[in-house]
Amino acid sequence: MSEAFEIVAFIISAFIAIAGALGMTTTMSMFRSGIFLMASFIGVAGLFILLTADLIGVLQIMMYIGGFLVMIVFMVMVMHDPGGAMMAGMDMAFVERWFSKGLVPREPPHSGHSGDMHGAHGQEHRAHRRDSHPMPQGKAGDHRSHSVHHDEHAGDDHQSMQDMDNSGHAGHAAHHGNDKNGMDMGGMDMSMVTPVRPAAAWLAGAIGVVLVSMLLLRPTWRVVNAMPDPDSARRVGHLLMEKYMVAFEGAGFLILIGIFGAVLLARPSSHPDDPSRAARVAVAEKPEPIADDGLVPLPVPDKQTEHKEHHRSDGHGA
Amino acid sequence: MPGTSTSPILSDYGFVALVLVMTFGLALIAAGLFLRAPRQWISAPPAWAQFRFGFVNYALIFLAFDMEMIFMYPWAVVFADIGISAFLDMLVFIALLGAGITYAWGMGGLEWE
Amino acid sequence: MGVIATSATVLAALGVGAALTWALERLFLQPRGEPGPAHTADLGRNLDIANSDRWLLPAGPVVALAGVALAMVVVPFGPDLIGRDLGIGVFYVIVVIDFVVLGVALAGWGADTPDSVEACYRIIAQLIAYVVPLGLAYVGVIMMARSLSTVAIVEAQSGLWFVVLQPIGFVLYLVTGLMQSYRAPFLEPFAVSIGGGVLGASGGWSALLWRIALAGVLFLVAAICAVLYLGGPNGPLLPGWAWMVVKTYGLMALMLWLGRAVRPLSTARMLELSWKILIPLGLLNVLLVGGIILLGIGPSRP
Repeated sequence: MSEAFEIVAFIISAFIAIAGALGMTTTMSMFRSGIFLMASFIGVAGLFILLTADLIGVLQIMMYIGGFLVMIVFMVMVMHDPGGAMMAGMDMAFVERWFSKGLVPREPPHSGHSGDMHGAHGQEHRAHRRDSHPMPQGKAGDHRSHSVHHDEHAGDDHQSMQDMDNSGHAGHAAHHGNDKNGMDMGGMDMSMVTPVRPAAAWLAGAIGVVLVSMLLLRPTWRVVNAMPDPDSARRVGHLLMEKYMVAFEGAGFLILIGIFGAVLLARPSSHPDDPSRAARVAVAEKPEPIADDGLVPLPVPDKQTEHKEHHRSDGHGA
Repeated sequence: MPGTSTSPILSDYGFVALVLVMTFGLALIAAGLFLRAPRQWISAPPAWAQFRFGFVNYALIFLAFDMEMIFMYPWAVVFADIGISAFLDMLVFIALLGAGITYAWGMGGLEWE
Repeated sequence: MGVIATSATVLAALGVGAALTWALERLFLQPRGEPGPAHTADLGRNLDIANSDRWLLPAGPVVALAGVALAMVVVPFGPDLIGRDLGIGVFYVIVVIDFVVLGVALAGWGADTPDSVEACYRIIAQLIAYVVPLGLAYVGVIMMARSLSTVAIVEAQSGLWFVVLQPIGFVLYLVTGLMQSYRAPFLEPFAVSIGGGVLGASGGWSALLWRIALAGVLFLVAAICAVLYLGGPNGPLLPGWAWMVVKTYGLMALMLWLGRAVRPLSTARMLELSWKILIPLGLLNVLLVGGIILLGIGPSRP
């Protein structure tokens, strides 16, 4: 009875940890990414508690709530699209679509539309995407099986597979920006939907298989019958004071260095009026693409032909 | 008896998990109670954008002090049992952190931008 | 009692406590002052927001309520009236009340209106302000009680209440308790100027959950203060739970009254107050309590 309870608790904690990590890597909203990582660490805390290290488990949760909220502060300070709304309208694989469910896609900022037309545009985009036929490209087997599975069960949300064709991306980006002149908007969108994601997913899966098989094929683990000390706070305190004293003071010293670094980095600059230091604080600012970075410019098709092709409703993204 | 072979910690946190599940159940019940209430639709300009915060300095130093608090809790539990050597150790630790906060204060790090 | 009955009792105690808190707060409501978080959520209608994040926005009040309910598990209402005496009781309470901050941040961000996103940022600033001084106040008590368990802390005060031995810690806890429960003068995340923050972005069921969670936070802060500094259910004549109720609501009235005597602080002022005054006070408190214990004053060894 108790063992069944332990096994169930282990499965739930491990599932939360893995699902949280998967959600963190695949969702389109950066805020959600942070929240998923926090959920993943709550799963890890559950695993700690199963090992009767409850102080460490709860301490982990405490650290990570503070840490992630501060991380979200920095993320919002630095990134253009922290909520994922602009990314939510893009082509995504099924896993990413699942973890980004609930985000309402909206037009990029300089579209000139008012706020309440965003919902209407989002509807229009979704309707168009529904018309396009699914094109399983077979690039990543598990993604294709997911999309086929999904096709059987849900009529809408057909997703064309993430394809390597740049013109397909440009087509979508141009469709996003079809009523303004922002071709560089397409450049910004494409930085998130890189074509190497299926290869990355395969690589991650392969590494996972290797690690799990290493774990399973090890020589037998030593099983000790001793019951760990349930008063873990006292144990940890004694260990800190006796065995790990140097590490304790060293950690204090490290924190001090961290404070020095933080204060130095956050000092107001001696050149505050330099135009390159202006942070974009409003959604309406048009972000400037980096000029002269030495890369070959992406092939950007003509806006007019792309528009006509799309309205022929052959499905785009060939 | 189911509780005797599990460690007491596991049954404690099993209870905590039970309270959590019951809270979710209560939230669902509350959602169900309000299903027929009138709905209002509001629309607002989207606000997910880059934002320049004023408390960035405080956030960085907060991270450091959060790590410090982690060390203080287990220390506080065993302090009275160990006596003066633990006090001196924590004195060094607090002195390091006090130096940090003094430095931050003096260098203008504790300011709202 | 069986496990399910115990947990139902814990949740019922939370509900009763929150309701009484709401009733008490109405006594302190000034006609021209800021209403604060207990009174601006509209229960009448459900609210749909155009661009909101459909997962995060409903998750906010649920996470906040879960935080408050989980913290209720370790509050002792009598010699045997506690949900579960966790070994790390008080530390667990600190962590779990932080889930209320997380819930407000989720709902604030998820609603995607300028007011609620501003509330999300302000609540993160409030977390940065209160966690460290609150922890330092707790550390003083833990040092004297030699344990993190709430029951052990109550037992350690059977001779003398800790408020007498640690007045600085008590004052520190009162101030950071107000920060933790977003009452005056620290109610920037729920200010009227941003439409009540996440409360303005909630309606119907989420408004109900918010009201319970926010009233519950104030109740829990006061209850834990009673446990840490006023000896919890200890006391002559009356049964344990009656003393606990008296102490909790007395402390709550004290906190609300002191809070209303000060003008509401802006977020910048609150952060300055916390980092420049409260944290040095807290470190001083820890050193003082350490000295007191080494001198032999305080609860004797069991």
